[in-house]
Amino acid sequence: MSAMISMSGLHKSYKNKQVLNDVNLTLGAGQILGLVGPNGAGKTTCLQALLGLTSYEGDIDVLGYNPSKSREKMLADVAYIADVAVLPKWIKVDQALTYMQGVHPNFNRQKAEAFLAKTNIPTTAKVKTLSKGMVTQLHLALILAVDAKILILDEPTLGLDILTRRQFYSHLLEDFYDADKCIIVTTHQIEEIEHILTDAAFIRDGKIVLDQSVDDIRSRFKLVAVDNEHLEQAKTYNPLFTNSMMGITSMLFDNADPATLATLGKVSAPTLADIFVGMMTQETNL
Amino acid sequence: MTVHWNGDTPIYIQLYQQVIQRILDGHIKEGEALPSVRKVAAEYQLNPVTISKAYQMLQDEQYVEKQRGKGLFVILGAPHSILEKERASFVSTEWPLILQKISRLKLSVEELPHTTKEHQ
Repeated sequence: MSAMISMSGLHKSYKNKQVLNDVNLTLGAGQILGLVGPNGAGKTTCLQALLGLTSYEGDIDVLGYNPSKSREKMLADVAYIADVAVLPKWIKVDQALTYMQGVHPNFNRQKAEAFLAKTNIPTTAKVKTLSKGMVTQLHLALILAVDAKILILDEPTLGLDILTRRQFYSHLLEDFYDADKCIIVTTHQIEEIEHILTDAAFIRDGKIVLDQSVDDIRSRFKLVAVDNEHLEQAKTYNPLFTNSMMGITSMLFDNADPATLATLGKVSAPTLADIFVGMMTQETNL
Repeated sequence: MTVHWNGDTPIYIQLYQQVIQRILDGHIKEGEALPSVRKVAAEYQLNPVTISKAYQMLQDEQYVEKQRGKGLFVILGAPHSILEKERASFVSTEWPLILQKISRLKLSVEELPHTTKEHQ
């Protein structure tokens, strides 16, 4: 599998603050990467560098293009949704389609119209009269119609209700995604998309602290409900995270021997959110 | 519909088991089509690869077959072969555990309800 996106040795600082610190990420066809991190960890800066929207040190290659030098060519095959509210309020839906037709070489108007026909968005409506969920769907219609190879989503479902969030990902999977495309998505609602992702990267203070396939992450981390008699022994295996509740202590282990863990208590598979919380909390303790 | 997946078994195995169960219960009938990978991915909010893996297992077990350009269909006789296999696996793996539990609880056969109706 050849890489569609590769970032290596990415650095960026604003004044004295380092926002990206040696970020390396590679993404190939078929991958859906969740980029997860606390507020201010560098997710958006990372995506903006990828899109050529901000300066950076290091190397980025997107479909063979250098985003800071050949941004326009690159954008023929790369689509981006940032926290939805970027469409001008005064534009009408059909005007937005006409505009896209004018500026984007791959824009297929029929495709956008076919998608919009499945929604309850009138083509004569102005953006300001649409609900937030409808605006998201309009964005999706535009993206589907350019048939991008790479889709970059920065908090695409922020502020949307759960129904619209689900609808967004359903359309993404049904109408956009296939094995030749790749998607990067940042979100705080990691539990809602963890089964959609093929890969996850955790970022903290501008550094990537975990970057693996979701399958590998699942086999690497284990949650153990440790009973009191094994507590001291369990602590010696350096749990990432410990939480005591009603006589049972849950501990998160990284790369521990499964047979040993089984002697400590009931072993289960943590969710990505569990691992995220565990890793982020552990980093603070250091 | 969101399905509550159990964290300890890979989702593709749980999906495979769900399809098997639905064929067995007659919700999906012989000769009927399975929904497309895309459809299931969108509906269950799963990565399409997960669904492909489950569908591949169903094909390997010869419960479903691919019809060119049309998708996957439940093979005639699949409910029967699933029933045979599930019975065998119940007798060899689950039943011994139930027997063990019955004896651990010192229950006699007479004390056990004969049907689930009686039990209600």
